[in-house]
Amino acid sequence: MTDWNAISDEDFRREVRAFFEAEYPEELRHLPHRPRFAEIEHWHVKLYAKGWVAPAWPTEFGGMGLGAAKLLIFYEEQQRYGVNRGRDMGIQMVGPLIIKFGTQAQKDYWLPRILTCEDIWCQGYSEPGAGSDLANLRTSAVIDGDDFLINGQKIWTTMAHDATHIFMLVRTDPNAPKKQQGISFVLASMDQPGVDVRTITTLAGETEFCEVFFDDARTPRANLVGEINKGWSMAKALLSFERIFIGSPGLAQNALGQLETFARGRAAFDDPVFRDRYAEVALDVEDHAALYSRFADQLKRGETLGADVSMLKIWVTETYQRISELMIEVAGPDGGSIGPLQVGNIGVDVLASFYKARPTTIYGGSNEIQRNILSKAVLGL
Amino acid sequence: MTIVQDEDLRLLRDSVRTLLDRAGGLGRARRLRDGDEPWDAGIWKELAGAGVLAVAAPEEAGGLGMGLVAAGVVAEEVGHVIAPEPVVPTIGLAIGLLHRLCPQDATLEAAIAGDIMLAVAWQERSATGLSDVIECRFDGTTLTGSKDWVVGADGAGQMLVVSEGVHGPALVRVAADASGISTQARKQSDGSALWGLSFATTPAEVLAEGTQLTDALANAVADTTALAAAELVGLSGAALALTLDYIKTRKQFDKPIGSFQVIQHRAVDMNVMQEVAQAAVREALAAMDQAGSALERVRQASRAKARACTAAQKITREAIQLHGAVGYTDEFDVGLLLNRALVLSAWLGDAAFHRRRWLDAKETEVAVQ
Repeated sequence: MTDWNAISDEDFRREVRAFFEAEYPEELRHLPHRPRFAEIEHWHVKLYAKGWVAPAWPTEFGGMGLGAAKLLIFYEEQQRYGVNRGRDMGIQMVGPLIIKFGTQAQKDYWLPRILTCEDIWCQGYSEPGAGSDLANLRTSAVIDGDDFLINGQKIWTTMAHDATHIFMLVRTDPNAPKKQQGISFVLASMDQPGVDVRTITTLAGETEFCEVFFDDARTPRANLVGEINKGWSMAKALLSFERIFIGSPGLAQNALGQLETFARGRAAFDDPVFRDRYAEVALDVEDHAALYSRFADQLKRGETLGADVSMLKIWVTETYQRISELMIEVAGPDGGSIGPLQVGNIGVDVLASFYKARPTTIYGGSNEIQRNILSKAVLGL
Repeated sequence: MTIVQDEDLRLLRDSVRTLLDRAGGLGRARRLRDGDEPWDAGIWKELAGAGVLAVAAPEEAGGLGMGLVAAGVVAEEVGHVIAPEPVVPTIGLAIGLLHRLCPQDATLEAAIAGDIMLAVAWQERSATGLSDVIECRFDGTTLTGSKDWVVGADGAGQMLVVSEGVHGPALVRVAADASGISTQARKQSDGSALWGLSFATTPAEVLAEGTQLTDALANAVADTTALAAAELVGLSGAALALTLDYIKTRKQFDKPIGSFQVIQHRAVDMNVMQEVAQAAVREALAAMDQAGSALERVRQASRAKARACTAAQKITREAIQLHGAVGYTDEFDVGLLLNRALVLSAWLGDAAFHRRRWLDAKETEVAVQ
């Protein structure tokens, strides 16, 4: 097995890039929507054969065992080439959860099924009354013989209609003194009578989000991960790497490239007003990358990132939105048109980019919540 | 060019900070603004003695050869206490021109040692603003014409003047007390002056001529622009720190105003702006030290100045707002920072100018490839 961490960053980047360029299906590059598994299964098969499904997992569980520096490179290259992340909730969230907190039996049973995508996972965190205030969640899991009996509702569950399993935060002790206490992590099958999934249509006309209703749904007590009532701190521990990933420059860089292509095709660079606004967003992207490198260097030195990493997400998502808004301005009278607009022989889907940028300031902890975190943890206010 | 170690930069930062803090920090800028002298000659000698003016010049020209990265550290510290001594114009323009054009000239050694102050006069004014052409004439022995936007002419012993000579562009040296010089000072918001200079058959001595001067000037101006950006980063960091202190202590409605979410989010935005600016300017300076082409140096300098101007203006203006009415008084130090930010932003091109130049440079690079 290759020890990826032993080769240089440059060589690793070259190897990852070469693999994506040679093997990633052209028609799946920069997909504007989240695919169902069936749509990308042929790519998953290649990735699985290469042993690259789980970059962050330790090699003993079938991962690549990448350290932070290599992991960032892997994701940078993935974004750069427009490689779809696939149905990666199992890889990104459930795997690390089980590896860190699960029993040997849970590792033996679930991890291989995640790698093969035999099980497709969705994340049951948010509820109608628990968005930014996630600890307010009410979906309950009550012990009933060898099972938990689950009742309640999850919402914004991405791709739940294409998932076989859900990992969820549930309330197991309604009488805990603080609402962060009394929350547990459980795994459950979606394929049972007590689970009902309804899709939510987004502004973009897509159905990637769902509501999931639990009405006396069951899951074996063996599917509790970690200690009962300790789910909140486990969920927080899982987010540490995600906090830099969610602030990485990729999305904004890709959008900027699209804006440039589109604006050249529409001769917008002849307009001094556009030039200034383009330079503004282009520098916002370039200068964000400088700050991102500073945090990435910290990771490479083996340091843990502090709460200040939140500023990356704030900056890059708001920049991404400005880029997509500028693209609509360049479109002029076509600014409301659905589907790709032709410039030369390239189609640029201006509205798709605009819609894709909107939720970035909402998900992963809304930018207002990020500002609360920075204010408290970094500025001491 | 050698790679400077982080540890060396840290030591440099500590020594400049200690020196400037001991001299009086931000309070010193106010004292000098309200006094008769434009800056403190004693502090100038101390700075030179600490090697501050030597950091960027190459070793073969009598410098420390630590590059713009080190000069940027100095500039940030100067900006942090808005020291009125012309550190950046001296390192970037005066020493920057001399070490490129006449590294063996005794004036360079004297300038690095702080024994002589040099003012560089390179821009000219037309009816509508900045002139594209140099009309100041050097006939081989004397200089005639006008220059403008000169920094530090009041304390300078000599002036380096970019003129049109017999064989094309010429850099000439003029003694400050030479005959035929008339000066006009325009006071700026921070208490400093910008000078207009007129020469009428003023005795002058040529230092360099031709395209080497054009190249050296372009590089020295790019350096100075990027160092002005670093100075702004230090300045906006100080404005942010003052504001954070203030909103933690100022109470209204029986609470520190920093406990209100609207204030918190505005403070966070200032902080994010500051961190992005600092990272971008430091990256630009490092890239300039490694840059292969003059065009890339220009592009990086413009990137740095565009970002630093935007950040410093936003941060100092927000700082005034968050201080409330006292922020609008001369008594509070935060206003000194706003006034200095206005001057540093206007000097060598503001954010809009540099965004334009950055994009032009980027397109030229693409076209050349």
